[in-house]
Amino acid sequence: MNEAPKFSPTEFIAVVNQTLEYSYSSVLLEGEVSSFKINQGKWVFFDLKDEESSISCFMSAFQLRMPLEDGMKVVVRGIPKLTKWGKFSLTVQAIQPVGEGSIKKSFELLKAKLEKEGLFDPAKKRPLPDNLSRIGVISSTQAAGYADFIKIINERWGGLKITTAHTQVQGLDAADQIIRALNYFNEHGDVEIIAIIRGGGSADDLSVFNDEKLVRAIAASKIPVITGIGHEVDESLSDLAADIKASTPSNVAQMLSHDRHAEIAKIESAISRTKQVILQNINTALRENRDKTSRIARDILAKITNFNNLIAQKIKLLEALNPEKVLRQGYAILSGKVSPGSVVKITTYEKEINAEIKEIHDRN
Amino acid sequence: MTETKLTLSQKIKNLDDEVEWFYSDDFKLEEATSKYKAALDHAKAIEEDLKSLQNEIEVLSEDFSK
Repeated sequence: MNEAPKFSPTEFIAVVNQTLEYSYSSVLLEGEVSSFKINQGKWVFFDLKDEESSISCFMSAFQLRMPLEDGMKVVVRGIPKLTKWGKFSLTVQAIQPVGEGSIKKSFELLKAKLEKEGLFDPAKKRPLPDNLSRIGVISSTQAAGYADFIKIINERWGGLKITTAHTQVQGLDAADQIIRALNYFNEHGDVEIIAIIRGGGSADDLSVFNDEKLVRAIAASKIPVITGIGHEVDESLSDLAADIKASTPSNVAQMLSHDRHAEIAKIESAISRTKQVILQNINTALRENRDKTSRIARDILAKITNFNNLIAQKIKLLEALNPEKVLRQGYAILSGKVSPGSVVKITTYEKEINAEIKEIHDRN
Repeated sequence: MTETKLTLSQKIKNLDDEVEWFYSDDFKLEEATSKYKAALDHAKAIEEDLKSLQNEIEVLSEDFSK
């Protein structure tokens, strides 16, 4: 009995807490929430249980980043402590739902709440700025999604200044890190858009993007935010709060950059069409010239024909008036003094006759 | 005389204007060949720029875990 250390209850609790802190300064526990309650809107209490055991958990309501309900599976990070009443409890530092069912439930509850507040209002969405040159990226520089983004944006376009804030993109600390990076870009204000990028992963991996504080920070960002989180089928509340949702990190790169190969093809096509314009204009000028020449030739020909017709008409008229033609019809021309006894000349078609006039009398 | 260095966007805009001339009422066949040659030279220069243009990537040294 003498060998055992002797403590007052206060001393014992202090020693136990010291030992706990030394051995487990911070632990991760995964279990099911039960007896969840919020006192005075400030303090959150719940038990974390599995089939056999249960641990009391405590946290401030401020730290609660997503809706919780009894029955949800969560992972918590906390500090194990013995309270002054000798009750063992876990002071929770961070909490996140795990498992598809719990994540979906939490997602739906928070979505309904934030939707009601207008955080996802399409009218508040800002378009992609024109002629982007400065892009802020929030991602893990070690993540495959980030590598995809950089590879594709470098392939597509150049001359951009890309500033990357390296953060965790999964786990209990990721949301706070991303929020700090968002604040950094908003405070420094030297980027035109912020891209939050994270490649594919499990529902647990991506659940950080349903963190209430993060979703609110995205919605409140002064600089437009584009998200490329997970795969095409994934949808997070961060996506809904962002101004633009891209389906993947690669898609973010596509949306933020022109395609230099397409641009080169466009220029080549414009130059080639210009060449066609010149050729068309040359052809048009040649055709117009040809048309003009043939019109002139046609006009000249028409004038000559008209002139020929006119001459022919005149000739016809002259022929009609020719006295020879009259003589040929059997008429005769009488010339000389017409008086009885005088000699006159009678001209027929074939002969000239001198005849003496015997008598003259009126026809009627 | 100092020559103003144009950005790629400005060069592309200028080329667009040059191409636009061919479709405008200002088009004159006698000027077209020289204008075409100039546009072709500018297009080649832009293509070179496009092929060689690099992005500047900076990873911030700030520690966002704290």
